[in-house]
Amino acid sequence: MKKAFTVILCLVMLFSAVACGSSGKDAHSKDTFVVGICQLVQHEALDAATQGFKDALTAKLGDKVTFIEQNASGDSATCSTICNQFVSEGVDLIMANATPALQAAAAATGDIPILGTSVTDYPTALDISEADWTGHTGINISGTSDLAPLAEQADMFPELLPDVHNIGILYCSAEANSVYQADVVEEALKALGYSVKRFTFADSNDIASVTASACAESDALYVPTDNAVAAYPETVRNVAVPAGIPIICGEENIAAGCGIAALTISYYDLGMATGEMAAEILAGADVSTMDIRKAPVTKKYNAEICAELGVTVPDGYVAIG
Amino acid sequence: MAIRLSSLISALPGCLAQGIVWGIMALGLFITYRVLEFSDLTVDGSFATGGAVTVMMILGGKPVWLAVAAAMLAGILCGLVTGLLHTKLGIAPILAGILTQIGLYSINLHILGNKANQAVSVDKYRLLLSLRHPGTAILVSGLFAAALIGFFYWFFGTEMGSAIRATGCNPNMSKAQGIDINRTIVVALAISNGVVALSGGLMAQYQGFADVSMGRGAIVIGLAAIIIGEVISRAFTRESMNFALRLLFVIVGGIAYYLIMGVALWLRLPTNDLKLFTALIVAAALAIPNLRSRSFGPGKKNGGKGAADHG
Amino acid sequence: MVDLKKVTKTFHPGTANERRALNGIDLHLDSGDFVTIIGSNGAGKSTMLNAIAGVWPIDSGSISLDGQEISSLPEHRRAALLGRVFQDPMTGTAADMQIEENLALAARRGKKRGLAWYITAGEREEYRQLLSSLGLGLEDRLTAKVGLLSGGQRQALTLLMATLQKPKLLLLDEHTAALDPKTAQKVLEITDQIVSEHKLTALMVTHNMNDAIRHGNRLIMMNNGQVIFDCRGAEKDSLTVEELMEKFAQCAGGALASDRALLG
Repeated sequence: MKKAFTVILCLVMLFSAVACGSSGKDAHSKDTFVVGICQLVQHEALDAATQGFKDALTAKLGDKVTFIEQNASGDSATCSTICNQFVSEGVDLIMANATPALQAAAAATGDIPILGTSVTDYPTALDISEADWTGHTGINISGTSDLAPLAEQADMFPELLPDVHNIGILYCSAEANSVYQADVVEEALKALGYSVKRFTFADSNDIASVTASACAESDALYVPTDNAVAAYPETVRNVAVPAGIPIICGEENIAAGCGIAALTISYYDLGMATGEMAAEILAGADVSTMDIRKAPVTKKYNAEICAELGVTVPDGYVAIG
Repeated sequence: MAIRLSSLISALPGCLAQGIVWGIMALGLFITYRVLEFSDLTVDGSFATGGAVTVMMILGGKPVWLAVAAAMLAGILCGLVTGLLHTKLGIAPILAGILTQIGLYSINLHILGNKANQAVSVDKYRLLLSLRHPGTAILVSGLFAAALIGFFYWFFGTEMGSAIRATGCNPNMSKAQGIDINRTIVVALAISNGVVALSGGLMAQYQGFADVSMGRGAIVIGLAAIIIGEVISRAFTRESMNFALRLLFVIVGGIAYYLIMGVALWLRLPTNDLKLFTALIVAAALAIPNLRSRSFGPGKKNGGKGAADHG
Repeated sequence: MVDLKKVTKTFHPGTANERRALNGIDLHLDSGDFVTIIGSNGAGKSTMLNAIAGVWPIDSGSISLDGQEISSLPEHRRAALLGRVFQDPMTGTAADMQIEENLALAARRGKKRGLAWYITAGEREEYRQLLSSLGLGLEDRLTAKVGLLSGGQRQALTLLMATLQKPKLLLLDEHTAALDPKTAQKVLEITDQIVSEHKLTALMVTHNMNDAIRHGNRLIMMNNGQVIFDCRGAEKDSLTVEELMEKFAQCAGGALASDRALLG
């Protein structure tokens, strides 16, 4: 037993020493590619994005592309382990699904092209100041943003709910994306003349109670693309609908669960857009000059809740199917 | 894609580096869990505090050494709070740790500028270690680990350190020997969380960002490292080891844990099952010594502990 | 040297388990008194020792040691003035630490503990000599972990630790009760040796009436949280176990019936 351990320990040390010197990259022949996908957590939206990504790339490259899919199960430290593995496998491209995954990938390599998706704001995620931001990162990172134009989301309030004055913004304080969106939407709503208050919860245990406070103090709510609410929209619905409070959401799935409308993007489409960028990069495009892309938007409404709350929906909206 | 040994080998340095950094966290946990016999849940919070303080100071233009020192100080304060909750307010150890951990969530958010996550890019700042350069990361974290082991070896041989060990071993006897156990508990908690926060600061630099939830589950990984380290050490010697070696094996345990993770990923284990896999590994590590001592087979070498002459 | 004045302690007041353990007890010890304490279970013997040691605060009354009022001091502060040996051999020492580490801890009782090394070379020599005077073979095993020692060895060690710095009062709480007769005798011998050598004031609780008579210069009997009988000197030396039983029946109105007390 003792000998076995000593031998293993020595081998590990030896290999690590060797590995530090070597680059560990394999020479792939030019026509097969390996793409590593690092997804932060199991989640419907993120899963859809990954699926769209794979479908788009497979449509373009067929058998020539293989994927290594890894999921960090919500652990940001595991993202680092996964990206370390991708680098050592010598993948041709890394797809990072969510902000911590993107940051771990950025730390892991400065050479391998990285495409982010389901990330709302790249300058914030990568610590690039707004002053320096030109639409592309200038380093080995690009990707797609799930940010629906926030000002347009704010415009939905006067369109759908002409009588409200106080708007509450509900989101999880642990999510950087949500904080960012809340900032921008609050500005836009204030510019439209509404009074705005924020209601945050630390984790899913507090959703119900915070929603109740929000409903008590507001005429209507806004929920950004918040992963925690996206995971438990029924909790929000069970408080808001009986209270008669309409919610405009940052994303279709959330609206389907608890809101009246959303300026929606489909995460599947977002993933596909990312896949198309990947195909361009694997064909030789330079990732550092590629601008962050967004998916097309659609105005959607939730027929059932609109009926329950007595909201009239103007033209230009599509029902959530 | 085919599984090749070469890719496991090239993943090793990263696993080693991450293992040593978490091993440092486990060193801090060792002080409370093994020496003081105090189950301290503060670490999930203080780990993130260390990361948050380090990153915000680096982003604020301060030199990285100062950022790391500040992280340690923040961790010491976290430990102090838990210690005072327990000694002055009489709150049970586990609860005191949980309360501090919960409070730290909000405090960490404030430190991060009310954002959940802050990036610190190795391209823009001088960091002590980074995922980008695993070789340097191993060296730097190894140096920190060695320095800490040396410090603890010295500290627990001092009068104060001896008093802390006695407190953990037998609080009643300690009181009878004039040791103020309230003070020793607070000191031990402060030092322990200082080290945990330090490791959080190192981890934040390594992974390139600090996240308010980066400490979640830290206590599980720390305990796993300690226990796996002890199981491995027993393979080398059955007698109790000198203190410095025990500390060294805590680091070894951290490395072993991340090596196992690396192998699991390399084998393309379904990643949804990674946490189950972790639980199984830790359970196995815990069970092995119990199963051994229960076996009724013949031929044990000595009578084991407790064999003594009767005077 | 030691003065207890009207000390009262009730456990679990106001509940069904309420028990008045010390009932306005008065006790005075002169310097150098070696007092043995006997009584039935629940008489308050160990409670009195714990009250002096400060394990918990007393309800009323005062305790003073060498003229100093100690009833408001916390346990670890009083420890500087006291030496204690407990009934359970596990309680008096730290099992995972070495013999010399335990002795070094005792040597620093009442002193400020800083960052100096836990032991000096001079101390090691001193401990070796002290241990050899016990005659238990421990002087060669200074670095052995205390958990490996037998019960008798641990009690002897605890005794040594309690008297390393000459305490104002030595509290012995049935410290031979968990040992076999031969070892118990040995430990009592060592106790006598140390007490007389350092001229210590000591309180020894015991269930063994023979030991209570044979050791010490004074004997008190307790019942219901009070002292009911107190004798010293020649009168004490000439006591027999039967006489003690009678005395108890007289003062307490009941029989002092306990196998341990009778069979010694």
